[in-house]
Amino acid sequence: MILDLHAHSIKSDDGRAKVQNYCQWITTRNVPIDGFVLTEHRQFDFESDYSELAQKFNLTILKGAEVETEYGHVLVFGVTKPLTEEFDFSNITLKLADVVAAANKHGAVAVPCHPGRVRVGMSAHIEEHGVPEGVHIVETFNGGSRGNEDDIAQTMADKLSYQGIGGSDAHIVSHIGRCATRFSAVINSELELVAALKSGEFEALTFKEDAA
Amino acid sequence: MTIVKLADVEFGVELPVFEPDTSLANVQRFGDASGWNSPRFTDHEHARKEGFPGALVPGIMSQGFLAAMIHRWAPGSVIENVDTIFRAPVIVDVAHRISGVVTDIDEDTGLVEIDLTLVNAAEETRVLGTASVRLPV
Repeated sequence: MILDLHAHSIKSDDGRAKVQNYCQWITTRNVPIDGFVLTEHRQFDFESDYSELAQKFNLTILKGAEVETEYGHVLVFGVTKPLTEEFDFSNITLKLADVVAAANKHGAVAVPCHPGRVRVGMSAHIEEHGVPEGVHIVETFNGGSRGNEDDIAQTMADKLSYQGIGGSDAHIVSHIGRCATRFSAVINSELELVAALKSGEFEALTFKEDAA
Repeated sequence: MTIVKLADVEFGVELPVFEPDTSLANVQRFGDASGWNSPRFTDHEHARKEGFPGALVPGIMSQGFLAAMIHRWAPGSVIENVDTIFRAPVIVDVAHRISGVVTDIDEDTGLVEIDLTLVNAAEETRVLGTASVRLPV
């Protein structure tokens, strides 16, 4: 099963895509993914229910979040109400250690995203802050990466024995599915996504050349 | 195909690729006409001293390129808005390419949503966004 683990909808301040248009795009363009995770910036979207869309388009649509720490941006999968009460998702100066600890406490997984990017990626901050504790997975393929950002991410992942995931980081409809993650498990819920990530049975994929 | 009315448009249809003229001469002309003639935009050496790789195409000019692309595709359309996200500078005298694709059609209002992506030769996205375009129903 292939999921794009990093996408934004109009719920994010810089997102321009309606979720139903993501679904329509994936279907009509035969984008080779089985679903996606909406990781809205600095929030968890409790109110939206995409189950009807998921059923209509036969896609898995899950929700996560993208928060901001001193090591850059971090995806959080398996967000629950108690987890959102552990720290302020809208705070742009979170401590990665706090995010990781809260995620572990509540059965979630924290994954630094676009780690090869200047300023908002983890790699750029290791020299200053050191190698963070508790990180096991990073995003090694990001659909919005420029230059050698994905190479930097992969090099760091290899060096620190991190596993890699892929996500498009789509903000507009036509960018969905540019990168994704292949799982050996079938995933239909956030709980199953967390379990699959913890199992380690996944690999990062990029379709950027296909999309170009 | 030139688009005249809403019925001419289908979900997922791609607009003809547009290669904007990002030459220094064109940016200087735009600067003279619009008042966006800071040396950051019209002088490579000055821009490099400010830490940029070269002179920058003004953001408002990039938006103009996006609008021009839409009007070449559908000359009679009314652009309701162009909503841009500037990811990285568009550098003067560097070749760029703009692609557009229809991602939503509202048959009741005649509004068409278009994804717009401006990339450089390395396929790096520099500007992306969406446009809402009204076409006769």
